[in-house]
Formats: sequence, C-alpha cells, structure tokens
Amino acid sequence: MNEQYLSVFLDESREYVQSLNESLLKLEKNPRDEETINETFRILHTLKGMAGTMGFEHMAKLSHRMEQLLDKVRSKRITLTSDLLDRLFAGVDMIDRMINNIASGGNDQADEEDLKSLMDAFEVVQEEKVQEQSVNSQTKEEPDGVDDSVMKVIQEASKEGYNAFKVRVALAEGTLMKAVRMYMVFKAIEDSGGQILSSVPPVEDIEQEKFDREVELVVITKQNAESLHKVISSISEIEKVTVLTITKGQGKPNEEEEEKEEEVQEKVEIVEEKTPEQKISQKRRLVQTVRVDIDKLDTLMNLMGELVISRSRISDILKKYNIKEVDESLSQLNRITLDLQNVVMKIRMVPIAFVFNRFPRMVRDLAKQLSKEINFIIEGEDTELDRTFVEDIGEPLVHLLRNAIDHGIETKEERIAKGKSPVGTVVLSARHEGNTVVIEVKDDGRGIDRNAVVRKAIEKGLISEAQAESMPDEKVYELLFLPGFSTRSDATELSGRGVGMDAVKSVVESLNGTVKIESIKDRGTTVTIRLPLTLAIIQALLVTVNNHVYAIPIANIDSTLNVPANKVQKLQDRLVTVIRGEIIPLVKLWEVFGLNGRKEEQYYNTVIVRVGNRKYGLVVDSLIGQEDIVIKSLGKIFSDVRIFSGGAILGDGSIALILDVSNVV
Amino acid sequence: MAKRVLIVDDAAFMRMLLKDIITKAGYEVAGEAANGVEAVEKYKELKPDVVTMDIMMPEMDGITAIKKIKEIDPNAKIIVCSAMGQQAMVIEAIQAGAKDFIVKPFQHSRVIEALQKLS
Repeated sequence: MNEQYLSVFLDESREYVQSLNESLLKLEKNPRDEETINETFRILHTLKGMAGTMGFEHMAKLSHRMEQLLDKVRSKRITLTSDLLDRLFAGVDMIDRMINNIASGGNDQADEEDLKSLMDAFEVVQEEKVQEQSVNSQTKEEPDGVDDSVMKVIQEASKEGYNAFKVRVALAEGTLMKAVRMYMVFKAIEDSGGQILSSVPPVEDIEQEKFDREVELVVITKQNAESLHKVISSISEIEKVTVLTITKGQGKPNEEEEEKEEEVQEKVEIVEEKTPEQKISQKRRLVQTVRVDIDKLDTLMNLMGELVISRSRISDILKKYNIKEVDESLSQLNRITLDLQNVVMKIRMVPIAFVFNRFPRMVRDLAKQLSKEINFIIEGEDTELDRTFVEDIGEPLVHLLRNAIDHGIETKEERIAKGKSPVGTVVLSARHEGNTVVIEVKDDGRGIDRNAVVRKAIEKGLISEAQAESMPDEKVYELLFLPGFSTRSDATELSGRGVGMDAVKSVVESLNGTVKIESIKDRGTTVTIRLPLTLAIIQALLVTVNNHVYAIPIANIDSTLNVPANKVQKLQDRLVTVIRGEIIPLVKLWEVFGLNGRKEEQYYNTVIVRVGNRKYGLVVDSLIGQEDIVIKSLGKIFSDVRIFSGGAILGDGSIALILDVSNVV
Repeated sequence: MAKRVLIVDDAAFMRMLLKDIITKAGYEVAGEAANGVEAVEKYKELKPDVVTMDIMMPEMDGITAIKKIKEIDPNAKIIVCSAMGQQAMVIEAIQAGAKDFIVKPFQHSRVIEALQKLS
C-alpha cells in the first residue's frame, strides 16, 4: 500500500471518527436533529468509500451497515433510541480500533466475533424496528410531536382568531432556580393572553426541576410570533427563544416552520437548524487547514531564534559605528524579524480543542458506567496554546475529569437529598490570562472533605495537629499533591482527590505551569492549571558563576537574597540557612559544576528556587538580570547531562546554559 | 440619568455588596432599607426606579412589602433577592408582582442583567 496515501487515509479517518463521536453525542441529546443525522450519515458514507478504496473490507462493511441504519433514521423509518446509539458508539469504537490497527502496521482485521455480533446487532435492530414501524406508520402522522388532541384544540382556537406556536425556551447556562424561571415564562405567556396547551417535559417535571435547560411548549395566543418572542425574551436568564408557527391545513395538518432567532426582525422561512450546519462547515475548514511535519515547525522556530540573535548582534555592532544609511534598513529588518517571530509563534499555537475534543465521549462513557447524569460543558476550546503542551496536557486532564465525575459528582440520590439538581455539571474551560493559558476543571459535586485530608496528613506525619488547625484551606488542598498522599483505599473518603494528583502536578510543573485546587463543601471543586503560553521562549534570570553566564527559569524562582556567611550552618553535611523560620538547604553552584578552588566569601548571593513544595538556595557569584531567552536543545550528544535543560544564545552572542533546577538540587 | 435603586436587605453586608455591584454598573443607589416597613417608607419618600428586595427580613417580610409597594405604585419595578432553596417564596413574590429574581450568592452579571432588563 502506498505509504503516502495511507497516512492521509489514517489522518482523515481519525478526523471522521472524532466527528462521528461528536455527532453521536449531539444525537444523544437530541435524537431528532435532522442536520446531525444527515451529517453522521454523510461521514459514514465517506468513510465507507475511503475504506473500500484502500481495500479495508471489514471497515467498509461495518461503516456500510452503520450508514444503512442511519439512512433508515434519516428517512424516519426508525427512531434513534439510546440503545441504538450505544450500538453506534460501539461501531465507532471498532472503526477506531481498526484505524489504530492499520496505523501500527496491521490491517482492519478486527476480532471476527466482535465484528459479527456488532453487525448482527445493527441487522436485528433494523428488522425489529422496521416491522414495528410498518404497524405504527398509519397512526403517527402529525408533524413533530404535536399531539392529536392538542391539534384539535388548535384547530378550534384558530376559528376564534388564535394563533398556535411551538415555543422552545432555553435557559442560560448556570441558571439557578430553573423551576421559578420557567414559572416566569409560563406566567409571562399567560399574562400576555396566551394559553399553554402542552409542554415537554411536562409541567410537573419542570416544577421539580427535572429538565436540563430547554423546554418546548405549544402555545395559543392572539399575538403574533414576534410579540410572543418579545414577551418571553424580556425575562432574565433566557438564552434563546424559538417561536415556530403551527399552521393547520384543512385535512392533513401541515407544519410551516418559521424560526425567529433573537433580534431577527423579518420573518424568514428557514428549515430548522440551518445555523448549526454552517457552524459545522466552518469547524471543518478550521481543522482541515494544513498538515505540517512537526519537525519542520521546530526547525523553523530554531532558525527564527537564530535570526533574532543575529539581528541583535548586528545592531549591537552597528551602534558602535553610527552609520546613518544602515540605520533605516536595520530598523526595517527589526520590524520584519519581529513580525516573523510573531507569525512563527502563532504557527506553533494550536486550539486547545485538539485536546478537549475527545473528552465529551469519555465523559459520556464514564457517566453511563457510573450511572450518573452529567452535563458536560466545554468552554474556550478556541484558546490557543503551544503545540508542545497538547501532547502532555491530555493525561492530567483525563485524570482531573475522572476525579470530578467519579468522586466529585455525587450519585443522583445523594444530589437530590442535598437539594441539588440530579444532573451534575462538569465544566472544562480554557482561556488566556496575560501570558498564561488557564485551564479549569470545575464540578458542582460534594467538594473536598477538609477534615479527611487533615486527618490523613496527620496520620502520615506530614503535619502536626497544631499546624492542621491554623492551616488555611488552600494549604490543606496542597497536601493532596504530595506524592503518595492518597492511595486507592482512601479514595472515597477523600473524594479521591489524592489519586494521581501528584502525577498531575508533576506533569504541569514539567511544563513550567502551576496547579491549584479550590473547593467548597457541597458546592464543588475547581482545579486550575496555569501554563505559560509557550515553552520555546522563557523568562530567565541570568546569573554568573566563575565568570560564566547561566540562566535560571523565572518560573522556578521564589526570591533572591544576600545571605551573610555567618548565617550559614552545616546540618548533616549540608549547608543550610534559616530564612523566615524556614530551613533552606544551600547549593553552591560552582561545586555542582565541578569548579572548585575558591576562597570563602562574606556574603552568598543566593537564588531561592522552588522544587515541588520545597525551597532551595542556589549560591551564585552575581545576578545579571532578567531576560527572555529562546531555548535550544543541547542535542543528542549531551542528552545525559541532566542539570541543564538547554542552552540559549544571548544578545551579545555568548551562550548561557539553562539550569534544570529540579536536577541540580 | 442613571436609574435610581433602593436596596432592601436586613444584612448590612448584603446591602454593601449589592451597592457595590449596582454603583459599579453605573446605577445610582437612592437609599437602603433594612426591613419591609422601612422599605415601604423609603419607597414613598424616594420613588426609586428599581427596588431590590430580600425576602426573609424582620418586622415585615419582603413579600408583604412587595404587596404594599404595589398598592402604592402598581408600576413599581421590584427584583426579589433570595437564597437557594426558597423557590416557593420566590414564586409567591413574583405572583405579588416582582418582575425578576436573583439568587444569593449574587453573580454580578446576573444582578446587572436583572437591572438592565427592567430599565
């Protein structure tokens, strides 16, 4: 098989699998969303074609079966049940496995048995449903779920000059007291002379907040659609109101749909949900831009760094001679390199959607497995971050989401008993804040039990009881990050927050980021991860040791101090000093570097660095200042040099080695 | 002209908080009241454009105060402030004529949205 085709095939089919997952998730929420049904059908069709072309018969056959099923759904011969969706999900999973198999050099030979039973499952479903369908086909005639009896009332009312509308009201995200809010909607409709004939979900459920965010009503009123829309949207916390006119033909009821989005003045006849389609095609285009070899990008970035350095060297040299003619072209060169630098930086950035995309499916599966209902919200998926993070940040997020769903969100019964909505909410969000990317995992679950954490910490001898009492919550939660703080067995007691939290922390810190936990009992937990925008350029403190310049990443630095020699003591062979009551080990960098033979000095210039929760003092000769530096790898030859993470070329052309602080101390 | 708001809550802290949110959003705080009786008096005196009304208060509760104010001025615009779990009370307040409700702990954006919807 032609390698080149294969890689394109793999890339593209992976994208399709992702889209399939997304569409199926959408269909799970709204099984009658025709646009998405069509989309799913189309993707399966394409996939089938691709697989067939590449000679992957099994994959082609499987997607064909799924496509057939979707076709039946599309032509309204069967409805999508949750059971059916499960099977479709299983089908997508199998396609995914096949793709992975092919990628690792195999073929699409999935487990025969699995494949057969899955295909049979689609087959059986089809037959059953089709039969059922043929019986039902005569009775189910009226459009879009408007009940027969309701239809009669509508026809009666129309004689008296009433108009009938189907009204969909969606509450804003995070609306509190949804039942009351909906009551206000009902009241507003009734106060304006309207009558509510039916509602989905039924009124009793709405009163008990047994609905997500959307309610569908059939309303008769003497007003027109526009003023009805206005009446409802004047209420707070309403995200969207859709008013559809139900027109009644003489014999067969026929629905003419008229969608009024907020602020849309003219009545346009649109087939429902036109906008999502546009959104989808936009998204597609975003994803399908260009594929560039990652190595090439790295090389580009490297060259860029060199260019910046050469430029500043040239400008340094030229300053000495003060040649007017060169000045102008030099400033132009400056501008161009700066622009170029920005562009290259941007190329390295990818939307965090690349990481977030796979989570809805994971959350769904996990929720189903734990029989919890989770409203999973993703925000800020367009937020861009350095592509080097994309590979690494996934795992910690999986961890945090699992924790939130498994341990944070309570069981339905527990939530109801607490007076919370039975549906738990988990929000995964990303945003830019200054020079950092902030990623948050937030749940509205039971929160972290401070007492349990404290008890555990005392048990393990990490803190004393006296310390525990005065400890602010923030510090208590930090305990969770200590390696091995929690084991599986205490997982439930501690809401499982300790499980793998140290792993999360170490990954985040290796990316020069920070992680923080906030929690309120019974209100939920928020874990906030902050990452620098990019790893390629970092801020560093330049110091000298034996006349050589070294760089210490600012992210690691706590403070700088001048420690008098008489304040330095020896404790078990290590130099230590006491700073604000804290014992801090000192490390003479020249000793680490093997540069000995120095006379004792009266003062130690010390850079206090943080490694995990510990502080260390690095003793240097002098501090030069802070600078943005472009990290360059030391290359393979020096790969076993652990104390330096790389090198950087400074403005004057000299080289500074960058300390990897965690390996120095 | 900036809309004038009367803040009614028995807790000085809540009043302070609301005052802060409201003034930052560019509205004017016409006055404050610590219970329903005061609220009705202040309403007559100040004729504010909007009232934020707590429900649970000494002397006279918010719902009674809403009814009284509505008697004086059927067009009064009142926003109920309520803690979680007081659904029934909020509904009662709306039946009594409140135009909107906000839930404690207040989210700034919600408070402002409520004010804007009424102006």
